[in-house]
Amino acid sequence: MKRTASINLARMRKAPVPKRLAMAVAMATAAIATAGCSNNEREAKVYLNAEDCTQVNPGMEAECKAAYQSALQEAASSGPKYDQRIDCESDFGPNQCVAYQPEGATHSWFMPAMAGFLLAKALDRNRYQSTALYTSGYYGSPIYGKWSTVDGYSFRRGGRTFTVDDSAFKPKPAVTRTISRGGFGSKVSAKSSFGGSRSRSGWGG
Amino acid sequence: MIRCNSRERPGWKRRAEEFGFRFHSMYGQVYWDESAHYQFTLEQIERDLEEPTAELHQMCLSVVEDVVNDERLLRQFRIPEQHWSLIAGSWRDGDKSLYSRLDLAYDGRGPAKLFENNADTPTSLYETGFWQWLWLEDMVNAGEILRSADQFNSVQEKLVNRFAELQRERPGETLHLACCKGSEEDRGTVQYLEDCANEAGIPTRFVYIEDIGHGEGDVFTDLDDQVITWMFKLYPWEFMLREEYGSLLSASPTQWLEPPWKAVLSNKALLPLLWQKFPGHPNLLPAYFEEGLASSRLSRYVKKPIFAREGANVSIHIDGEQRYSSSGPYGEEGFIYQEYSPLPKFGDNYALIGSWLIDDLPAGISVREDKEIVTQDLSRYVPHVILG
Repeated sequence: MKRTASINLARMRKAPVPKRLAMAVAMATAAIATAGCSNNEREAKVYLNAEDCTQVNPGMEAECKAAYQSALQEAASSGPKYDQRIDCESDFGPNQCVAYQPEGATHSWFMPAMAGFLLAKALDRNRYQSTALYTSGYYGSPIYGKWSTVDGYSFRRGGRTFTVDDSAFKPKPAVTRTISRGGFGSKVSAKSSFGGSRSRSGWGG
Repeated sequence: MIRCNSRERPGWKRRAEEFGFRFHSMYGQVYWDESAHYQFTLEQIERDLEEPTAELHQMCLSVVEDVVNDERLLRQFRIPEQHWSLIAGSWRDGDKSLYSRLDLAYDGRGPAKLFENNADTPTSLYETGFWQWLWLEDMVNAGEILRSADQFNSVQEKLVNRFAELQRERPGETLHLACCKGSEEDRGTVQYLEDCANEAGIPTRFVYIEDIGHGEGDVFTDLDDQVITWMFKLYPWEFMLREEYGSLLSASPTQWLEPPWKAVLSNKALLPLLWQKFPGHPNLLPAYFEEGLASSRLSRYVKKPIFAREGANVSIHIDGEQRYSSSGPYGEEGFIYQEYSPLPKFGDNYALIGSWLIDDLPAGISVREDKEIVTQDLSRYVPHVILG
């Protein structure tokens, strides 16, 4: 056979679903995902810093230090960034934000300080994985009284040991502050202002 | 290779709606045309199209190797000097590619002739990989076409497999996809690639080319300030290299699909170099740069801009007389000259074959038809079958 053997038509279907129904479906799916995926969860512990981790786990000094460093890095690259300290503090609470200046940047901005990190055995059980945690001291914040990963996976504070979803440890997209937009696409507007008899605005060939 | 009239599927426009194929008609004209289809034999497909496609692709890659190592050629390809190292680097590092389309003139008998290589931003991918596939399924199920009929079209299967391969190098990483605002066709093509990437398990995000931002630390960002680390762009390299953010390309860590070396592979300056390197190859048409035209003794030739899309700014010259010319915004970077080889005519229709590659693998064909001798952006898309 010279053609594709089979195609998942459900994925290809794009017929518009009424919005309310779409929401209901999404929520139902989420509920099933939470209820039926106990094997996609694992036990993890929260530590405030490397020392906290070492005190609880004597002999794991190197692992604790590495986990803490990797969480710090994740917070720097994937955490939210603000122009003004006041904007950051209004989300994370007073004195919860730090100045941040990446290499090569001309000025600094503000991001929430990492409040702790989550440590768990990786799925292969042979090594550890960690991820950065924030919390907010601001009562109106959705993560007040909770721990939250940099991309918003959150769970209520209290105690050290939690059962968390595997997705808490997935790689986080890096977030940065955007200086400008619109530096691509100027040629397209220049070329499409040309009025041919048969012409369109796309750039495929 | 014959052209057969066929009955349109009743209600196919509703089916198009169901699957989100919204550009089957554009600017008041039919684009997807299932009132006919082309029928090929398996031998025609394998011997005349599939094998030459694989070979032509390798020949083209060998020219890329020559060009990235030769400043004179890079100049001839009108690659801005500041980007030479970006392009040569992406070639030497073996940056992965996704897909290409070779445009071939073929009438069912003689060897297929390469018109050009759309290696950077080919479209009509969705129509080929999915919609034409679904047409055959529906036609066979309705008893309109024999169940033994096949199609040269493993585009979707190979795309999903290719994405799965690419993902192994970038586990868990988000692929951003981008095209320009204002083209339903381009948006549909990118949506299709997104579907295929998702099928392979790759998380995706979409951003318009015009909305891409410059983030602190010389990175590109989407509208949520997420750093773009891996991106498919349906936007030509020759534009990107010359625009404001072009100067960021070398510093930014973004991995591009298609990779920067496609600026060479998709360049029409490739055609004269192919002819220099493989003179007389049965699947090539003689082609020359301006300076080679006089001594070439070509009496019938097509003049094509080095950078152009969809048949724009092309003119046909026969015995010193211009017989045809299409309008368009291209040509400022110069032209190449290719022997005129008229497209085969089936009834009133000129037909051009698009032969698709997913990475290095021939993956299928598309047929475009036009009443005019040069197929253009709105040439009708006609499906095909293999029988016999």
